[in-house]
Amino acid sequence: MLSMKNISKVFKTDLVETHALRDFNLEVNEGEFVAVTGPSGSGKTTFLNIAGLLEGFTHGDYFLDGINVSNLSDNKSAAVRNEKIGFIFQGFNLIPDLNLAENIEVPLRYRGFSAKERKRRVEQALEQVGLGARMKHLPTQLSGGQQQRVAIARALAGEPRFLLADEPTGNLDSLMARQVMELLENINQSGTTIIMVTHDPELARRAQRNIQIVDGQVCDFTMYQPNAARSASHSSVDKLVANAQG
Amino acid sequence: MLHIKPILSSLLRSKSGPLLLLLQMILSVAIVANASFIIAERLNLMARESGIVESEVFDFSIYHFDKSTDLVAQDKRDLELLRAIPGVIDVAPTSMAPLSGGGWSSNFTLGPEERAKSTPNTGMYMSDEHFINSLGLKLVEGRNFYPQEITTELLEDGGKMIVTKAFVDKVWPNESALGKSVYMGTQHYVVIGVVERLQTAWVDNSNLEFSSVLSVNYPADYKRYLVRAKPSDIARLKGVIPELLHKEYPSRVVEDFTTIAERRIEAYRDHELMATVLTMMVVLLLLITSLGVTGMVMFNIQRRTKQIGTRRALGAKKRDIISYFLVENYLLCLLGGGIGVLLAIQLGQQLMSLYSLPMLEIIYPLLTVVGLFAVTTLAVYLPARKAAKISPATATRSV
Amino acid sequence: MFFYYLDLAWRSIKKTPMLSALMIMAISIGIGITITTLNIYKMMSTNPAGEKSGKLFAVQLWSQGPDAWDRFDPQITYQDGFNLLKSDIPRLQTPMFRTGGAVQTEDPAFLPVLQSRVRVTNNDFFPMFGLEFQYGQAWDDSVDQDARYEVVLTDELNKTLFAGKNSVGKTIYFNAKPYQVVGVLKPWAPSPNYYDLNNGAFGNVDTLFVPYSLAPIEEYGSWGNTNGWNYESINNYAQRLTSEKHWTQFWVQLDTPEQVAEYRQWVGQYIEQQKKLGRFGSPKADVQLSDVDQWLAINKVVPEDNKVLVGLSVLFLIVCLVNMLGLLLSKFLRRAPEIGVRRAIGASQGQIFAQHMVEVSLMGLFGGLLGLAWAWGSLMLLTKKFDLESSLTHLDTSMWLIAPMIAILAAVVAGIYPAWRVCTTNPSVYLKSQ
Repeated sequence: MLSMKNISKVFKTDLVETHALRDFNLEVNEGEFVAVTGPSGSGKTTFLNIAGLLEGFTHGDYFLDGINVSNLSDNKSAAVRNEKIGFIFQGFNLIPDLNLAENIEVPLRYRGFSAKERKRRVEQALEQVGLGARMKHLPTQLSGGQQQRVAIARALAGEPRFLLADEPTGNLDSLMARQVMELLENINQSGTTIIMVTHDPELARRAQRNIQIVDGQVCDFTMYQPNAARSASHSSVDKLVANAQG
Repeated sequence: MLHIKPILSSLLRSKSGPLLLLLQMILSVAIVANASFIIAERLNLMARESGIVESEVFDFSIYHFDKSTDLVAQDKRDLELLRAIPGVIDVAPTSMAPLSGGGWSSNFTLGPEERAKSTPNTGMYMSDEHFINSLGLKLVEGRNFYPQEITTELLEDGGKMIVTKAFVDKVWPNESALGKSVYMGTQHYVVIGVVERLQTAWVDNSNLEFSSVLSVNYPADYKRYLVRAKPSDIARLKGVIPELLHKEYPSRVVEDFTTIAERRIEAYRDHELMATVLTMMVVLLLLITSLGVTGMVMFNIQRRTKQIGTRRALGAKKRDIISYFLVENYLLCLLGGGIGVLLAIQLGQQLMSLYSLPMLEIIYPLLTVVGLFAVTTLAVYLPARKAAKISPATATRSV
Repeated sequence: MFFYYLDLAWRSIKKTPMLSALMIMAISIGIGITITTLNIYKMMSTNPAGEKSGKLFAVQLWSQGPDAWDRFDPQITYQDGFNLLKSDIPRLQTPMFRTGGAVQTEDPAFLPVLQSRVRVTNNDFFPMFGLEFQYGQAWDDSVDQDARYEVVLTDELNKTLFAGKNSVGKTIYFNAKPYQVVGVLKPWAPSPNYYDLNNGAFGNVDTLFVPYSLAPIEEYGSWGNTNGWNYESINNYAQRLTSEKHWTQFWVQLDTPEQVAEYRQWVGQYIEQQKKLGRFGSPKADVQLSDVDQWLAINKVVPEDNKVLVGLSVLFLIVCLVNMLGLLLSKFLRRAPEIGVRRAIGASQGQIFAQHMVEVSLMGLFGGLLGLAWAWGSLMLLTKKFDLESSLTHLDTSMWLIAPMIAILAAVVAGIYPAWRVCTTNPSVYLKSQ
């Protein structure tokens, strides 16, 4: 599904060379739910941007869905992002001037879907996140959790091969965080691969697989027993998130 | 891919900014349309041909202040002298200089009786058989004067006359003018020739094209002469002529050497001034409007950096971002242009009712809107290209 | 506090140099265009008669027959001018017309100069129109009754003929006839030259004045306009004097409204009397008295083009304002977080508002000054390109005050809404999002 081989990313200024990623290797299989953790400055965000084709890298190869996406043109990578990847951002990144339906439509329009098809998908996606009745609302009229669900709907509407989630619950309180997390798990169960970047080890533990990045390299990974992990960790996650929110 | 609906709803939801730009566009279209209409009108006026070989002709005046001068004999001698100067193609006496703003005009009647139908007010040149050649006029019908037809005063039984085609078309449409008579009181003049074109002295008069040349070379203490020469000789002749004429007879002032080209500049000075100031206005207005558009786009790009990054992350190509800004401003153009056209027509009507301006032609507001689109494209494209360079990774950056 | 605001304003302008430059540019261009057209307009619409404006009246007579001109001609006939002089109601009155001719001095080496602006008039002309003498005085009243060959020179012609020295008592030759100089005027150039607008209102100033009483003797030709409404055969000067041709101007000075009414009545009686003699054949026969303001309006001294230009340039200025308003709104709203901090620290809405007003006024001032420079430049260019009268394109001193005032006012008008928007926004909104 996703395969990164010896990927390096170097930021150069006149004075210093910073290695954001060094010989980074990662394989993600179809249908996995992978959590990526690591301390601040470890290269999490760089990994996320590279995985999402939001920025390029210096060395290495990156295969997505069997295609080498290492050196795609700007237009081609835009198309890959549009068709294969669904993004969920920490800050939701909903467009404030557009209502929910219009927000969800944004990637569909870039894909060139017909109005009818767009309508079908928007409705379906909103239904999926449980906000079917609020199509005409503006983002500011919703709570944070609802906004994130809209963002998830936007990511789902294009029926992507995998979802890239960047601290999806970072701006949410515990109750909402749990709802969003459950939603992601449901999505994963219906077959969508998910890669979630988070700084929260408790949250990460709910994923099937954990990857820790330290100094731009994969440090270790742990495989959890999917079902057992999920049921066992509910309460502890809540506690942790609640603590984090203070 | 023009995503009009979401752009429109986004526009509708944002406050005051686009509204102000819209207002600016509306006013600009109204002003630019009317200004460019006036400019075009003035340029058309200035483009009218006088019928004269303007680059080769100049005129000057002789003022005889000694009352004892035999004006008829002196005029005859002067003409002979002038025509003999090397470099001079031809010389004619005249009662007025074309395009000069001063001279003779009259409403002729078409019969001797007082109540007879009269012609439009017509410029009156009084000259001799050298007039046509001196100005380089084109005779299209009939003939020139014969030397023996030239008189030195306005005779009771009149004389011969050459008129312009415009005059003929107005007074005797679809008829030959040759042999027709016009009257001034009881004097009558018989038309013997028609020239294609000859303007009068008054460029702002609607009867500018109605000229007549009478076969009279009357004596006067203040008299004007038309000289035709090669353009390269004119400067020299301006020095030679006064010297020669003073040597011939000193009690006079020879002055006011003016080429027809100079008379044209002088005659149309106010129009050219108007056109220049208005052109300045149009250019600056378009500049200001485009700067306004650019400023607004720049502001919006800054405000929407995150949004643009998100769009890019969600699969927008660079050209999608550029076209987003273009479409957004085109929508404003369309609306602003539409209302602007209406306002332009209103303004045109106001100007028409207050001042003697003709009615605004609808093509001018329409062309202005086209111009607005062109200027907007440029004004949006440059900053929008910068917007397209915003990295999609902006989307993952927290605040 | 004002200086603190001024300091803040200056910093703010410097902080966004492009945007500030854009705004100052916009307003300066608007001001530049407006001042340019306004200046020409103002110069053209000046009433040079000053306080006498309401007392000097141009007399027009509807002496034409029926079916002739459908308006008062700006001039009257010689015979009417002659007859009107018999009224003793006006304190001062004079007929006049323009002539021209060659002027020589007694110095044989001096080549004759052609003077095309010579005024034939009575000596009332000088006090009526406020001409002052540097040497000598006007010819005596008796000259207006019994013609003598006496002239008044302008300062300009005196410089040409006598190098500016006192020439009173000297002889000049006008059309080869000797005249005695009795007076030399101080420099004088009314703009527009309102007493005779027939041949252009600007830049044509008379240089020589000769007694009206000499006209029938010397047979001065009219170098102004001659208008006729019927065909008359005129073969000599005597016929011209008794003809129905309109070619002289007539001005009276009437000091009170009673005098105006009285004079109007007197002319009315004159018209009735002339009707009996077979003249003034139209049922509309009447007199029209116009003071200088009315006279300038009737003669359309300010060309329509100029009014159109002023109108369009005011609209232009409005566009510049709207432009500035939009940019200010962007700029101020972008600065809202900073304002949020100020508000949180304790600045009142009024203080924030004042701060922004000082800023826009400062920009207005800059725009106004730059606009003046534009106007000055464009007037220079226009003068040069179109060879205009410098009296029309000289930047009027009042503009030095008017331009910055319009600019600041305009900037303040444009700034009120954006400043209001900023100072009424809830500060917490911005503090939180930071």
